[in-house]
Amino acid sequence: MTAARDVLRGRLGLPELAELRPGEFAAEVKREQLPAVADQAAGAGLRLATLFATDDGPAKGCALHHLWAAREPPGFVRIWTRVPADSPRFPSIAAKYPVANWFEREVMDYFGLVPEGHPNTFRVALHDDWPDGFPALRKAFADEQKVPRVPGNNPHPFRPVLGEGVFQVPVGPVHAGIIEPGHFRFGVAGEPVLYLQLRLFYVHKGIEKRFEKLPWRHGLFLAESISGDTAVGHALAYAHAVERLTGVEVPRRARYLRTVLLELERLYNHVADIGAIATDVAFAVPASRAQVLREGLVAIQERLFGARLLRGTVALGGVKCELTLGRRNELLVHLDRLGREFDDLVKLLIDSGTFTDRVDGTGVLGTQAARDLGVVGIAARASGLDLDLRRDQPHDAYASLRFQVPVEEGGDVRARLMVRAREVEQSLSILRQALEGLPEGPSFTPLPDALPASSSALGWAEAWRGECLHWVQTDEEGRVARVKVTDPSFKNWPGLGRAVPGNILPDFPVINKSFNLSYSGNDR
Amino acid sequence: MFRILSKSLKTGVVTEKDPFSSRPPFGFPVIDFNSCTACDECVAVCPTAALQTDRPAADRKTLSLSYALCIQCRECVEACPERAIHPGREFEVATHSREQLMQRGSFVVDPATGRASFRGMDARPGPSLEESAARLKERIKGRLGRSLHVRQVDAGSCNGCELEIIATANPVFDLERFGIHFVASPRHADVLLVTGPVTRNMEIALRRTYEAAPEPRVVVAVGACGCSGGIFGEGTYASLGGVDRVVPVDVYVPGCPPRPHAILNGLLVAMGIHQARSGPGGAELAPQPVGASPPSPHRPLMPVLARGTPE
Ligand code: SF4
Repeated sequence: MTAARDVLRGRLGLPELAELRPGEFAAEVKREQLPAVADQAAGAGLRLATLFATDDGPAKGCALHHLWAAREPPGFVRIWTRVPADSPRFPSIAAKYPVANWFEREVMDYFGLVPEGHPNTFRVALHDDWPDGFPALRKAFADEQKVPRVPGNNPHPFRPVLGEGVFQVPVGPVHAGIIEPGHFRFGVAGEPVLYLQLRLFYVHKGIEKRFEKLPWRHGLFLAESISGDTAVGHALAYAHAVERLTGVEVPRRARYLRTVLLELERLYNHVADIGAIATDVAFAVPASRAQVLREGLVAIQERLFGARLLRGTVALGGVKCELTLGRRNELLVHLDRLGREFDDLVKLLIDSGTFTDRVDGTGVLGTQAARDLGVVGIAARASGLDLDLRRDQPHDAYASLRFQVPVEEGGDVRARLMVRAREVEQSLSILRQALEGLPEGPSFTPLPDALPASSSALGWAEAWRGECLHWVQTDEEGRVARVKVTDPSFKNWPGLGRAVPGNILPDFPVINKSFNLSYSGNDR
Repeated sequence: MFRILSKSLKTGVVTEKDPFSSRPPFGFPVIDFNSCTACDECVAVCPTAALQTDRPAADRKTLSLSYALCIQCRECVEACPERAIHPGREFEVATHSREQLMQRGSFVVDPATGRASFRGMDARPGPSLEESAARLKERIKGRLGRSLHVRQVDAGSCNGCELEIIATANPVFDLERFGIHFVASPRHADVLLVTGPVTRNMEIALRRTYEAAPEPRVVVAVGACGCSGGIFGEGTYASLGGVDRVVPVDVYVPGCPPRPHAILNGLLVAMGIHQARSGPGGAELAPQPVGASPPSPHRPLMPVLARGTPE
């Protein structure tokens, strides 16, 4: 274990690197060293997984944290620095590492810390009528604080359109379909899209602040509601963080059942998305077949686990559901049938020329752009980036199961569709292994009554859309002081912005669907 | 082409004949007040304050349960030392007011032992289900026939409710057969189906959408969040809370998320086809003033099937 620490310390050129627990490292650096350490980390092949600030009270001030993910040796390295109250600024790395762009501006919006040298210091998360000042995630800001609206205080700068026949198409926040709210501003020349600007954060619910107010056990339910389609993914990431914080060992059976839950969530979302892609190119038969398959899955989830969308199944310390032998077999039979029908469905799609015409070469996100923007999950794997925490930093039962990580090179709608289709195959195999090898024993380890004081831990889970990260920090009394939630959507939305220009406007829905990003997870 | 055709023919009809026939293993918690000692154990584990106790006087205690806030996490069922909370299987809960989603039991506290014993249910404030239904009917007065155009508005949800709303349109539930269609513009809508705690950033958009809809613009609030703010709370810097904090609501469909069946039921309530129901043990339990003779002990409150058939 310490060998891994020494390797990482050497690569990052750091004098000290603490190993907080297996796979989690931290080092404090001087503020002005941040960019140099970032260069070292990026040069050594680490990727920036998240970036955030904390407010450690009036005595200590704020801190800024860069969390880097290393693949070999596997580990997360948190490089952090103090930001004293009398100098609320930090050096930006966004010009060199575009993945930091939104993260740093979010720190600016919610903590009032200035990213110095950031190429674009407009607000990202706060809307126009939010007054200046009022950093919502600072400790001095009360959760119930009423913040006045100042209309037109900070008008969002949309790119101007100039030239004959060039115009803007504003869409949202209330869309035509049943989807979440967000605003898209297209610059178009006839049908072709010249650029796409995103204005999100309409569904910002103050979740990170809310974590600080709720008892830590109730945080699990809040985690389930970060993005409803990723209830298991976020619940697991939060549970992992709390379990690592308390040093609780989750029993083997629970680890297997958690794997089953996470894969079921992947399955029902992937199947639904493939149907939705078919809907968006008006291919009705496979679309409704997919809907029926998806409905069959959520219905059996409800029967076996008590909730259609698998809410309330993950517990801190284990799982809250049981699976008897008979029910396990019922699930296996259902999955076998699903597997056969799913193969038919995919064949139906990719053998149809009218379908592939619409998805081939549509909405391309190149490998380099995906890497620069820090794109993760299915979108990354469809653009040739071979990342998957289930294999790279295995959680739950993944280390004892055999599976492949499908990667496609195309970066287009078809590639994202094919990554899903191939992942469904892998998921079915993982489910079969986990269900057949389901160990006996307890499904739960009770947690201590309190969290350790002045401590922090990272929890992660590779959910269907990509990695969910929860970083939980406690104060001197063991209360939750900060939870930083990173939903894969936050890193992938800029990827969508990059993939759309050059396509025609009518292809936007299908490109958007092929990413299927969460607004709620992004906005929190 | 042939493959597509044969696929469709082989599949046959997948639509559920009666979408209200399947019951979930867990709908909402049902309190058997006669076994309850108002001990506060359930209140401590409830993540959304759906369960609350109050001490109006030294010798009085109340316990209330609101489905508007309940996220169906089942914690209370496991926490109750008296086993007085049952997993109810009813899901077709839809009412016309927040109060109608709440029930409150009164307890008398024995000063010697400190033990509370159940005396009766408190009368629910506000109009009854029937009164509200009549009022809604009056408002829509024949303007909504047996066809309903629905504009869905996500005012801040986690997208769980959207997944279930989308599911109502899938081939299994097929809400179009009830004459219900989702439309793209509020200007074409009879009903706004609104989810989520209303966020500060969606408040204005929701108001505008509401104003854009033609009269009688019936509003159906969906989900624990739409009914009360749910787990996100009410009146935080970012979340205003339930939809009724911003626009008037005609029908409340609780649940986190409500099943597609429940959403369908809520829309049928808005059309006046189904009757509003406040859930297990709510409407059926006649309000009794405190001090009246308590109901016979150990009789659990009976969950009642939809449309009035006792189970
Ligand atoms: S009620 Fe539940 S599912 Fe619906 S928006 Fe709220 S948290 Fe999400």
